[in-house]
Amino acid sequence: MKAKIFINKIKGILGLSLQLAKADFKQRNEGSFLGILWYLLEPLFMLFMFLMVRNVVGQGIPNYPLYLFLGLIMFNFFRKTTSDSIKVITDNSGFIKSIKLNHEAFVVSALLKSVFSHFFEIIILLFLLVYSGISILNIVFYPLVFFFFCFFVLGISFFAATLGVYLKDFANLWRVFTRLLWLATPIFYASKLISKLNLPFDFNSLNPLYYFITIARECIAYNKVSQLSLIIGAVIFSLSFFVLGFIVFEKFKNKFSEMI
Amino acid sequence: MMKEKRIIVENLSKKFRIGAKKNRNALAQLVSFFSKNTEKDFWALKNISFSVKNGENIGIIGKNGSGKTTLLRTIAGIYEPDKAGIKVKGNLVYLSNLSNGLKPKLTVRDNIFLLGSITGLGQKDIKKKFNEIVDFAGLENFVYSKIHQLSSGMIQRLAFSISIYSLKHSNPDIILLDEPFSEGNDEEFSRKALNEIEELTKYERTAILVSHKIDLIKNCCNKAIWLDKGKIVKQGKADKVIEKYLKLTNKII
Repeated sequence: MKAKIFINKIKGILGLSLQLAKADFKQRNEGSFLGILWYLLEPLFMLFMFLMVRNVVGQGIPNYPLYLFLGLIMFNFFRKTTSDSIKVITDNSGFIKSIKLNHEAFVVSALLKSVFSHFFEIIILLFLLVYSGISILNIVFYPLVFFFFCFFVLGISFFAATLGVYLKDFANLWRVFTRLLWLATPIFYASKLISKLNLPFDFNSLNPLYYFITIARECIAYNKVSQLSLIIGAVIFSLSFFVLGFIVFEKFKNKFSEMI
Repeated sequence: MMKEKRIIVENLSKKFRIGAKKNRNALAQLVSFFSKNTEKDFWALKNISFSVKNGENIGIIGKNGSGKTTLLRTIAGIYEPDKAGIKVKGNLVYLSNLSNGLKPKLTVRDNIFLLGSITGLGQKDIKKKFNEIVDFAGLENFVYSKIHQLSSGMIQRLAFSISIYSLKHSNPDIILLDEPFSEGNDEEFSRKALNEIEELTKYERTAILVSHKIDLIKNCCNKAIWLDKGKIVKQGKADKVIEKYLKLTNKII
């Protein structure tokens, strides 16, 4: 009986967040001249920009376009979902104050919205696979990596959504932080470059994004299965961040309606 | 036979932190520019107690800012009470004016789907009821218009229409209605809407209504509560409470 209620609740949250994401997606592209084409153009611009300077930043990396593009789109997914989540509760104050809802749906909708646009990036990725002469079938491993990646991103998004309600400055802080993280994550340069910085610790091993991006790169671009330590690390990051973020969100969500 | 109690509210209090001004000298003002504003406690509800039995309809009246909406939101679980308890038996739906949740850049159609799913309708239910919702709101010719192109009266009608149809569909034991229609609707629609609300509050259903429309309370409710500054001034039979309330407000005018 309890399990049934639980499943119905999850279903309700997913259904509602899908509708919210759809409406937001439509709203964002409304009146835009190129509309959904932007979802293709934006990552393409980034790709070409870095390919122009590949001799400087991407030296010695095999399959550089794929290496680069996977890093770009995965980080982009992380950045977009988390920064959208910061605003999602305040943006929907009209609903939250006037009807009893599952607040989780708003955060999940921010994730789903990014999943929509991620599809377009995956289409480009498929073309890149063909261009690089790598089997297009390698993409079948991506959903599994992406699944755990989503839970990680969702966990951070729950944190971000909660903090966004209480701390006005958090949006700015997060923007700066993600920019730094973008530079600190091996997206357009080789991952061993960081060890040249002579940090007292191995930064990559502390950076969850490094785990997910590396696993995706290795199975899609390089046809190999990652080290077990990387995979276990990714699963632990994904589940622990999700659980922690969810607990924080649950603890504070009943106060949201008074804060917005 | 005693009727079952649907809602029991006992010694309910609710406070908010609101901004306050202090007298300060210039230096303190400069320093406070960087610090947080001072706040003080504001008790929106103080020691409210009442109960609602099955099938009873209660109207809540009072001036603006007397705590009516806070009371409903606390019962609905949107706000957390600061003191004491609320017991609710059965499933409950709280609805207030949803018009500020509508997305101005989307079409009427898209908004019906969005608001419908927010108020708990499934996709299939919305498709089934779609024409009825549009007809009730009188927006047959505006299905593909954007919300920002509609008049404010049309927007109110749309929001009300969606709310009513999702309420009918979810068929809850208890409904809490917070100022279900705002001003600015024509006679015809107001009458239609009034009929719907009367229909909804009939029979075995329990309802709490907040409204400035005294006639609505008179028609739908058998009991009434008069709130002022977060306290109950009077509660009891609807006619008597309304009579007292009107006497006081007329005196002031």
